[in-house]
Amino acid sequence: MAQQPVTLRLLMPAPDVPPLRDAMIQAFQEENPGIRIEIIEGPNATNLIEDLYTSAFLLGDSPYDLINMDVIWTPKFAAAGWLIDLTDRVSEAELATFSPVDVEGGKYDGKLYRMPMRSDAGVLYYRKDLLDQAGFDPPETFDDLMTISKALQEDDTIPWGYVWQGRQYEGLVAMFMEVLQGYGGYWVNPETEEVGLDRPETIQAINFLRSTIREGISPPGVTTYQEEDTRRFFQSGQAAFLRSWPYVWPLANEAGSPIQGKVGIQPMVHQPGQESGGCLGGWGMGISKTTRHPEEAWKAIQFFTSLEPQKEFILNSGFVPSIRELFSDPDVLAKYSHYPDLLKVVDSAVLRPPIAQYAQASDILQRYLSAALTDRLSPEQAMRSAAAETRRLLGT
Amino acid sequence: MQDSIRAREQRTAWILLIPALLLLLFVYAYPIGRAFWLSLFTKNLGTQLQPVFSGLSNYGRMVGDGRFWQTFWTTTVFTTCSVVLELLLGLAIALVLNQAFRGRSLVRTAAILPWALPTALIGLAWAWIFNDQFGVVNDILLRLGIIDTGINWLGNPVLAMVAVILADVWKTTPFISILLLAGLQSISPDLYEAHALDGATPWQSFWRITLPLLMPQILIATLFRFAQAFGIFDLIQVMTGGGPGGATEVVSLYIYSTVMRYLDFGYGAALVVVTFLLLITAVAIASFLINRSRRSTATT
Repeated sequence: MAQQPVTLRLLMPAPDVPPLRDAMIQAFQEENPGIRIEIIEGPNATNLIEDLYTSAFLLGDSPYDLINMDVIWTPKFAAAGWLIDLTDRVSEAELATFSPVDVEGGKYDGKLYRMPMRSDAGVLYYRKDLLDQAGFDPPETFDDLMTISKALQEDDTIPWGYVWQGRQYEGLVAMFMEVLQGYGGYWVNPETEEVGLDRPETIQAINFLRSTIREGISPPGVTTYQEEDTRRFFQSGQAAFLRSWPYVWPLANEAGSPIQGKVGIQPMVHQPGQESGGCLGGWGMGISKTTRHPEEAWKAIQFFTSLEPQKEFILNSGFVPSIRELFSDPDVLAKYSHYPDLLKVVDSAVLRPPIAQYAQASDILQRYLSAALTDRLSPEQAMRSAAAETRRLLGT
Repeated sequence: MQDSIRAREQRTAWILLIPALLLLLFVYAYPIGRAFWLSLFTKNLGTQLQPVFSGLSNYGRMVGDGRFWQTFWTTTVFTTCSVVLELLLGLAIALVLNQAFRGRSLVRTAAILPWALPTALIGLAWAWIFNDQFGVVNDILLRLGIIDTGINWLGNPVLAMVAVILADVWKTTPFISILLLAGLQSISPDLYEAHALDGATPWQSFWRITLPLLMPQILIATLFRFAQAFGIFDLIQVMTGGGPGGATEVVSLYIYSTVMRYLDFGYGAALVVVTFLLLITAVAIASFLINRSRRSTATT
């Protein structure tokens, strides 16, 4: 007698569903006739997905078995006790196939709660054609970025130098993490929970961003821009540099784009003597604590994170792989020739503080950073308040 | 003998009151008491969502919480602006609807329509009306040649506030006008007639008769709207989500974030308690004014 198939439910943003469904679900169900996977297509905005998962968990009996998580939710969901601990289910050798920072992003308090599905990290795009023409090497430091921008603007080669995301939202914090890293500063030390927002490096990082506006390198409207505003700005040929995510690459190079084939990609710039670090994004899968089918759910995750389905998935979607081998896979390279550059970025990527109260800490930083960038507060004043509120939040 | 009948009646009265009192206790006193109790604990992600007694520390944290005071100020601005505008417009509409004209009942029904529609839908509609690319407001202004490029209404802190206030005024003015219309209809026409015979102009009649006699209704409407506007959530959540950059974030949105996004239940409860106490104080002051005006109208 045929057994009733087990159904696993999974909620994710609707635009992310097709690559997953095409590359993995079909193949998995063929291999495992006893398990069906039902994907619920949620809103496009990921914060709404987070809210939907949260409400489901708070009500006690979550209708979702598999949890598709952004890197910044993992500590919160884990600390609230909503996820199954996966530590003992995977060996160190299995984890070694992934980028270490993606694995780190799935951990909370030393335990693993999320298996990486795709990586993501902040990068710096530059106009290769313009830099070559003017005889510049790609910038290494913040000063290089300013000098090259000014030179290109003075020649009337391009109206603006550098665009970044300055609106008060999560993207602002992601962008700022990278500048802060480049100055050798830190936001919250994950081990000691020490807050570094009122340290001189943080003030220097803010002053750099303020100077890009003051000196006319960045347009004044940059403090209201999100990712897509900055991409359109860059793609229409109005700026020489753009800080954004890897998703820009295929769009900038598609047929009909004014900057097709004229773009270079590299890690974010830094101060001399410091290291650069892109802000780590990316998604992974965990298992809900209230699921009635943890074994089947784990089987699905193992399948999703194994090499062949991942390759299909990456080829299908153009996402950044978590499995290191895929960055040099010939089929992947044939389609996405810039992936070796991306691996460099992923390898130097930094995590946003993996603390349970991340959402709150981020909102505090967003408010005061935005106030400092728009001249409502001085950087010192703003960061003193931000640091005090963050310390009160973390109880340090 | 007389006394025992009286005592029995009183007892019956209490028995009859008990269901209603229990209901009040259950619906009002219990949640408020529970919120107060919870506000004495730290219960958040830092404590694995387990309650840990922490006395008044949540209240201490609130003092230094810039965001709470900012949202409190935003809520006050929103409430004051929208209630004042609604009162003025509502009074004007009530005065018109109080006149006899053809199709009056149809207009009266139509006027209540915005009040009857679900707020979330209205929020969605107004968000589109103020959309920078496809919005009606920009389209009209562009066609009239007042602006050259679309204004990003919901992306500018001041304009976003204007937009949510306008949407709220549109939605709740009908409520005030219906309340005031009821008040207007209770004023005897004889008064106006006598006043006119004494040589008073309609303008004088408005100030000397209409406004004083309408005062109780105006105060009740204000009280009602004040309490309601102070707790506004749905309209702003849908229209701006509290943005841009927290410019339209009101207290209830902040409480929602604290509880639902940050899972900081103890602190969220403390925010609820303080907001509740501040609101109760404001309402008590308003009721005191109402009673005084009632007494003064009763003596005149």
